[in-house]
Amino acid sequence: MKRTLAVLFCVLAAFMPLFAGGSSESAADEDVTLTVLWFNDANESEVFEECIQDFLAENPNVKVDVQVVAFGDYQQRLKMMISGGNPPDLARLTTSDVTVLASSLAPVDPYLADPAATKAEFMPSMLAFVLNKDGEMIGYPTEATANGMLVNLTAWENAGIDVRELSKTWTWPEWEEAVKKVIAANEGMEYGLAVDYTMHRFATLLYQFGGSFMNEDQTAFDMVKPENIATIEYFKHLHDEGLVPESVWLGSENPAELFQAGLVACHIGGSWNINTYNTNVKDFEWCAVNSPKGEIVSSVPGGKFIAAFKDSDHLEEAMALMASFSDKQHNEQYCLGTFNISSRTDAEIDYPTNSEDFAVFQQDLMATPAFTAIEWSSPEVTQNSTFMLEQVVQALMGNITAEQACQNIQDRIGG
Amino acid sequence: MKAKKDGSDVRIRTKGNFNQTLAPMLFLLPNMIIFLLFIIIPLFQGLRMAFMDWGIFVEPQFIGLENFKDLFHDEVFLITVKNTIVYSFLTVVLLTVVSLCLALMLSRNSMKGERVFRAVFYIPSLLSMIAVGIAWRFILGDELGIINYVIRSITGGPGVQWLTNGTLAMMCVIIVSVWASSGYYMIMFISGLQAIPGELYEAARIDGSSAWSTFWRITLPLLKSTVLVVLVLATIASFKAYELIVTMTKGGPGYATKFIVQQVYQVAFQEDRMGYASAMSMILMLIIGIFTLVQFKVAGKDGQYD
Repeated sequence: MKRTLAVLFCVLAAFMPLFAGGSSESAADEDVTLTVLWFNDANESEVFEECIQDFLAENPNVKVDVQVVAFGDYQQRLKMMISGGNPPDLARLTTSDVTVLASSLAPVDPYLADPAATKAEFMPSMLAFVLNKDGEMIGYPTEATANGMLVNLTAWENAGIDVRELSKTWTWPEWEEAVKKVIAANEGMEYGLAVDYTMHRFATLLYQFGGSFMNEDQTAFDMVKPENIATIEYFKHLHDEGLVPESVWLGSENPAELFQAGLVACHIGGSWNINTYNTNVKDFEWCAVNSPKGEIVSSVPGGKFIAAFKDSDHLEEAMALMASFSDKQHNEQYCLGTFNISSRTDAEIDYPTNSEDFAVFQQDLMATPAFTAIEWSSPEVTQNSTFMLEQVVQALMGNITAEQACQNIQDRIGG
Repeated sequence: MKAKKDGSDVRIRTKGNFNQTLAPMLFLLPNMIIFLLFIIIPLFQGLRMAFMDWGIFVEPQFIGLENFKDLFHDEVFLITVKNTIVYSFLTVVLLTVVSLCLALMLSRNSMKGERVFRAVFYIPSLLSMIAVGIAWRFILGDELGIINYVIRSITGGPGVQWLTNGTLAMMCVIIVSVWASSGYYMIMFISGLQAIPGELYEAARIDGSSAWSTFWRITLPLLKSTVLVVLVLATIASFKAYELIVTMTKGGPGYATKFIVQQVYQVAFQEDRMGYASAMSMILMLIIGIFTLVQFKVAGKDGQYD
């Protein structure tokens, strides 16, 4: 008998963990805990939790479990949760996440009193990212981001150049001429420009040179065109001239660190760098300026979103939380607290510092053609951006021509 | 089972002997379940996926050998296979030699501070490869790296393109891998060396054998099984290298240090081609299996010394 009991105990002990998860759900059927998967660029999760306090006070039965995951692991974790049938109730998403996960996200429109009025509250370029094929919202835009140029103001002043004035109308050849003077005038300044090693940032140049990934009506991938080839060739020219450090696109150095170290005169990066530089740069003055003009002036829109998942057990509460977090008052609070550009058209944020820099990024964003948002909502562009990046690098290294790089991209993606 | 003289089998009954039959199986059961759930089932699932056109959110479609056919025409995949084999071969050879040399120096209990040195060499293997990669990027970086800062300060000229020149980048990645892992294998060699009977060395000394001859005729033959274990473990680890490479070079410049695992990750989780990535993983598993088998075959012929 003792032996039988011992065997039974061993078997139960072995299988106990397998049964452990199932019993807690029914215990509190009135209380709801919303799981929110989040990643931080800076302090976003902290500010998010502050912004939802009003909602939690009004809904005492709702609790929120914010799970912060490192950005490097975020996409994989989220995809695994969804494919495993266990998605969070809500998640913070990037533009590419929204595109890839669109079929798993719950439409917001059925939960809105006046969907058209709600949609009108957001910038069209931001709203475009979260509209599904039926024109329904599948999430709320939270903060908008834009690509733009940040300059080492002290270095430009040392060269006797009023960069704020010059940048109002400058073209790329004018920028090139001026930046050479800046390098010459500043000891220790090695380079003119650092560009983040991402296709999104490279697309800033691509659009400025009149290029695009898709055809005119955004119905098909169309990479082989003179404007795209010219952009890659110009970027290679900047590398060959020594105006752009090889260590970013061929090595793995961080362009923001090069800028902060005073080694480069300009940095093409995202608007979130305003926050970073505001905190980190102490040795020189810096500011945002309008990007040089190629064929056109352009930025690349981007941003972050909050969305609920179709498989969530608490969709109503999730939708209510998103609506509260995205209203004018809380969105302004969030964007002020995280030092970001709001994606709402009616937001009025009085930033304590750097208001002018935010305004410059917004100007570039407003001049940006609308098709850019559609391109960056396309899975072809977002899912293949690393492959495209690798082809540009192959061209920079001289292993293939710019035209071959475009053709390789077209063959892979456009078929 | 026991064979009778006439060739027929006789089943030996162990009825009632709980301690010898059921109990060990019960204690093994949790591990076997975990092994089944997390190794065997995913392995067969991966194999199944390799024959599918499968994105993470789309209905999988059986496409037979298409993924494997495409792999052999995929230029980037073939480059990553070549890079992985070059990296693994050089890393495993260097790792074995370096860790054996360290073990030989630090296993005699005759040097002052021997234990401290062992700890110093072992510590890097305790670090996360991500931390190691980031730290070495700060040391080897072209513009902000410490080594180039010193070179520029002394010579006044430009620094060395440690991570932007393809050959140098591969060399750096190999050296850092050896630095990070040699302590771990050194400990294995030390335990192997300490298991060799001291009488053999004494006899060799009496016979007038030189240190070199003693190493080749006594130490190395008696260490053969440890060498085999080190070779197999180091080969498997080097074929799966990912974190260190991504943090140090991101696979660059270009494709110079891009290995199979990085390509698998990119195809699976960025390009959302899970079936194709599974096919790559199967090829990787096959390559590791072949290398391991060859090592066993080569060492197994006369490897039963201890």
